Amino acid sequence: MAQTPVDPLAFTPPSMHGEHLLDPPLPYDITKRASAASVNIQLQQFVANGTTAKDSARKLVMPATFGEHVDDVRALAGSIKQHTLDHLDYYLEQFIDRATEAGVKVHFAADSKQANAICLEIARQNNVKLCLKSKSMVTEETHLLPALESIGVKTIETDLGEFILQLDNDAPSHLVAPMIHKDRTAVGRAFARELGVPYTDVPTELTQIARQYLRALYPKADMGISGGNFLVAETGSVVICTNEGNGRLCTSAPRIHVAFVGIEKMVPTLSHLGVLLKVLARSSTAQPLTCYTHIMTGPKRAHEHDGPEEMHIILLDNQRTQILREETREMLRCIRCGACLNACPVYRKIGGHAYGAVYSGPIGSLITPMLRGLDNYKDLPNASSLCGACYEACPVKINIPKYLVQLRADIVKSNLGKKADAVFFRTWAMTLKHSLLYRMGGWFQSRMFRLQAGRTLRKGSPYSARGWLNKLPGPFKGWTDQRDMPTPPAKNFRHWWHEHQKSKGQ
Amino acid sequence: MSQAQSQYPGESRESFMARVHEALGRTRTEKPSEPPPQADQNIVRLARPGDDLVAMFEERAKITGMKVIPIAAADMTKRIVSLLEELGARKLVVGVGSLPQALGLKDSLRRKNYEVIDWASSPGLEVQFEADAGITDVHAALAETGTLICNSDAGHSRGLSLVPSVHLAIVRRSDILPDMFDYWARLKGIPGSQLPSSMAFITGPSKTADIEGELIKGVHGPKDVHIFFVQDA
Repeated sequence: MAQTPVDPLAFTPPSMHGEHLLDPPLPYDITKRASAASVNIQLQQFVANGTTAKDSARKLVMPATFGEHVDDVRALAGSIKQHTLDHLDYYLEQFIDRATEAGVKVHFAADSKQANAICLEIARQNNVKLCLKSKSMVTEETHLLPALESIGVKTIETDLGEFILQLDNDAPSHLVAPMIHKDRTAVGRAFARELGVPYTDVPTELTQIARQYLRALYPKADMGISGGNFLVAETGSVVICTNEGNGRLCTSAPRIHVAFVGIEKMVPTLSHLGVLLKVLARSSTAQPLTCYTHIMTGPKRAHEHDGPEEMHIILLDNQRTQILREETREMLRCIRCGACLNACPVYRKIGGHAYGAVYSGPIGSLITPMLRGLDNYKDLPNASSLCGACYEACPVKINIPKYLVQLRADIVKSNLGKKADAVFFRTWAMTLKHSLLYRMGGWFQSRMFRLQAGRTLRKGSPYSARGWLNKLPGPFKGWTDQRDMPTPPAKNFRHWWHEHQKSKGQ
Repeated sequence: MSQAQSQYPGESRESFMARVHEALGRTRTEKPSEPPPQADQNIVRLARPGDDLVAMFEERAKITGMKVIPIAAADMTKRIVSLLEELGARKLVVGVGSLPQALGLKDSLRRKNYEVIDWASSPGLEVQFEADAGITDVHAALAETGTLICNSDAGHSRGLSLVPSVHLAIVRRSDILPDMFDYWARLKGIPGSQLPSSMAFITGPSKTADIEGELIKGVHGPKDVHIFFVQDA
């Protein structure tokens, strides 16, 4: 029977309102998903609970561990990453040589397509039928899974959260807690439907079901895929930090191990790795270390009795060298701990999928426009109140607010913004620069709001009677859609100050 | 495989590196003019040789959810058997290398009618999945975090500390190092090709909090890690 030829690298990802979850039509408009999320009570509860718990735990654990040196440790961790990035050419070459000496086949991928193509070729050469995957954001970035499936390699996510998301054709919405947006009943339904087990929504039972199902597959799998939290230049090692144990299983049981790693994950030596390990899990989940820190250097040695016979590392660029330029290099320090997501009031309100990309939250608002074009994601640098909580949380001291502002400036400079916004801000700037204009503007705004208050008061609005406006006209409507506005007083501060000074003089 | 090998898609090392060079504003790889920042021990070290490392290790290991059982070397077999009875474990895989305190352990367990598989005899991957418990020693343990370090070598498996639902780890007082920096110092100068292919830092039983943030033990790896803490070795 004739078959339509399938492009193995073509991609059909999960969707939301008919749009791909992590790969929506471009340019991406955040409004639709952000509005939907802001009225989704369940999402708000789960994301807020999950993130605030982790955020408070981090705030307790970092000072409890490092005492007065918390900021020094963050500065040190940041300077180690910065130094490595400043000399990434040297450390990359060193890493490639050391890893090759240890028996690793190192591959180079300019973009997602190349990275997947390399992996598919490894699978083909080894006649791979079953592939088990541990959690990796980079493989989300390259859309590896559908590519493998398209050449007939059955590929299964083994991280519990990712396993559930895969059954539901859903996508991760948090760097560290991928299914933060789903509840236990969704898991129960997915297992009953896809695995044919009786429905249960007890988390311990659900976990046991997944454990039994996946354990049966490990001895049969031909290929295991992992990401990498760190690369160590001095030894040629790849390091993964996980809690469940699936990461160690995927990299130990199958005959072939393939690691997908972005070039920015480099550190010079094991001792530098130590500094970053000490801040990673504490910032992420407030653990001293993740349950398993797995340092892998080459395939199984001749005298060892288990481990992969072949080890491949696919080093991925995919626009990272664009970010590596001096103006934006600092962004690449990120160790993907998720602390900035947990600290961010905007992320808590809209959840990860509203960012329309693999990397969400404050760091995603920097990285996504850099990886996929500022013109495609110009809403993201604006999806922040610039409160600075992300900067305070970041264990490698990336000045996220500074770079958000820099990207906003780039949007204006390249004329990517809305025309109306440009006119508005120009007028505003002029008003703030000239005292008379400022006073006139203030007077006009106060009159207008007080008129509106008077009008609604006459209609019997209880809000206005208590000194609040709950509906403003025209361009101010957006403000009162979400919250009330205090009715401006008859006298403003300037007015009061003037009178006060006069009465003092008497 | 050999004829097809090395024909992979992707880029050459040279063109890959060329983009890195361009981003860094140079045309070829240059050695850093300054050394990398030193890991200042005054601010990152969390345990020192003078600390009460035994108490610290015990306390921190317990916090991560592992169980610590202090024993004397002479009582090892007796204590392990009593735990195995309690757990109802019959089939054991043992990878203790040449640990002198565990020399007679395998034979003693066999005499008590346990099915004992010696990892050094290269029994294959599957036995790990069939075993009720994995018994190992450690290459080191860290007081700062209560961590066990289990490496792969001829006598030690990647899977014994991971695959069976119970992991029994034998830790001696002399295995304990204050901080992970002391372990890095031990590896200093060993080229990557001479390192074990796998070094696992184990800090707690296997855990997940993926379903509504509820903490559950034993998702893929062992639900229980029992540390037999040998006080006189």
